[in-house]
Amino acid sequence: MKDKRLKYKGLRMRRYLNVYKECIKVAFASASTYRLNFILNCTIMLLGDIIFPLITVLIYGSGAGFEGWSVYEVLLIQSIFTMSTAIADMTFHGVMWVTMDMVRNGNMEMVLILPIDTMFILMARTFSFEGIGLFIGGLTVFVVAIINVSVPSILMWIQFIAYFIIGVLVMMGIALVMAAISFKWVGNSRIPEIFSNIRNFGKYPQSIFPKAIVVITSIIIPVAMIAFYPAAALLGRGNSSMFIMIIPCFLFLLFGIYLYRHMVRLYQGVGG
Amino acid sequence: MGNIITVEKLTKKYSTYKRGSGFKESLKALFIRKKVPVIAVNEVSFNVKEGDIIGILGPNGAGKSTTIKMLTGTLYPTSGSIEVMGYNPTKNRKAYVHQIGAVFGQKSQLIWDIPPVDSFRMNKAIYGISDKDYDERLKQMTKLFMVEDFITRPTRVLSLGERMKCEFIMAMLHHPKVVFLDEPTIGLDVIAKHNIRDFIHEMNKLGTTFILTTHDLEDVEQLAKNVIIINKGAKVFDDSIQKLRKVLGAKKIVELTLQEDLGTLDIPGTSILERESAFNITVSVDLDQISINEFMTKLSQQCSFSDISIKEMPMETIITHIYQSRDK
Repeated sequence: MKDKRLKYKGLRMRRYLNVYKECIKVAFASASTYRLNFILNCTIMLLGDIIFPLITVLIYGSGAGFEGWSVYEVLLIQSIFTMSTAIADMTFHGVMWVTMDMVRNGNMEMVLILPIDTMFILMARTFSFEGIGLFIGGLTVFVVAIINVSVPSILMWIQFIAYFIIGVLVMMGIALVMAAISFKWVGNSRIPEIFSNIRNFGKYPQSIFPKAIVVITSIIIPVAMIAFYPAAALLGRGNSSMFIMIIPCFLFLLFGIYLYRHMVRLYQGVGG
Repeated sequence: MGNIITVEKLTKKYSTYKRGSGFKESLKALFIRKKVPVIAVNEVSFNVKEGDIIGILGPNGAGKSTTIKMLTGTLYPTSGSIEVMGYNPTKNRKAYVHQIGAVFGQKSQLIWDIPPVDSFRMNKAIYGISDKDYDERLKQMTKLFMVEDFITRPTRVLSLGERMKCEFIMAMLHHPKVVFLDEPTIGLDVIAKHNIRDFIHEMNKLGTTFILTTHDLEDVEQLAKNVIIINKGAKVFDDSIQKLRKVLGAKKIVELTLQEDLGTLDIPGTSILERESAFNITVSVDLDQISINEFMTKLSQQCSFSDISIKEMPMETIITHIYQSRDK
């Protein structure tokens, strides 16, 4: 019985991987069909997000800055944020846009008739290569920043990778909550703005925020895990409470998944 | 054959907001919105036998699409029960939809920028179809539809008729036992409609059960063995196509643009339904009394006309006939 269940799970996993592979092929085919659009989008995304670390350089260049944080330490946080955003844009941010669009136009049925998890297929189908430029940009700033701070130990790197992955999952949670809201708040163009503003709290050192904001960004909507905690781990500025902060991150992701699935159930469609 | 679908007292209610037109009403709606309850489907019950083709007819807004969406498991009913092949569509959705296919005439499963054959491959992965089954099935259906030439062209360059054929292939690659079609011939020309109907017939011969919604009586006449008519959310007719013909009579609606004022129409089995002007008239022709061929011959003897269009009976007239036959 147990063997049978394991075999079924294995087959299911293989099927989901095959679907993801097909989706990546489709994303590549779409990107190659509209080459100019692809190059332009990559460039615009890169310029739009990379300008932020440049502003940080300018702020520090004029003598101002975030107290207790060197320019390279802040750049490290922001480059991690950029890389995390790039991965999210490539792999799952599309779920928010496509859900908003499908709910508004009543096309959700076309996904619901498929024998696959709705959330998974929407994420897979919106896989996009356009975030690759942004990722390379973020990685470049990351390399420059890491060269100019003290060399992290292997343990710090391991901690960084773990936090970075959890941070990406927090991003997924936020995208799912926003996508879920679009079922109720149909066609509201402010949803992506709210989404972006919430995430932006993750771009800065937490020490600059009042305590109430720190509690919100660490526990309620744990955006601090997107960039601040991974950077703190690399810089050796972490503490034991950071380990506990993993819990609200997973809870937030689970809440996002639950809310999204619940809202799919409430989907009403539009007139035929 | 046994029932493959059993629907009992299926009801779907939802709330919407009522708003008047114009700036003043829009401004008012910013602050006060009147909630209006809507009963889209009201206690509809029916059965479908295995291997059947059922036509669900009804005017726009009758509740046909809502019914089919509930049958496909994409909408949750407010009350009532549905059983399809032993499945409850609202429970265990993924296992259920693996057994069915669906084509929504106004929506597409195909991916716009890539050729249909790549979209088919996507469904192959989603349904976990083996290479052997996929190749066999694709070959069979591309041959039936004669689409070998264009399944490798990007979807966006295909005509509506070509796209619709590909939608059917997409929905049936995994060999579903039951296929739901929501307005499958909407917007298609005569030839494309004919091809789609032929395909449905062929697949039905191989054992697939079809449930189609339409407001085109011709679809039902050419395809369905049994008909369900829904009006304002309620079932008003559920019987064979022969019974429907008996209720309605075999009538066609002929719209004529005349070159001269006709006065009275003196052809047996016909009556003038509407006289828009002296030169534009709508005539009802009872095919049990006179064939279209005979009607045309007699009409050309009585008057000269510059345009003629032969149509099916409008849905509203069908519903009126059904209500009248019930009262009798």
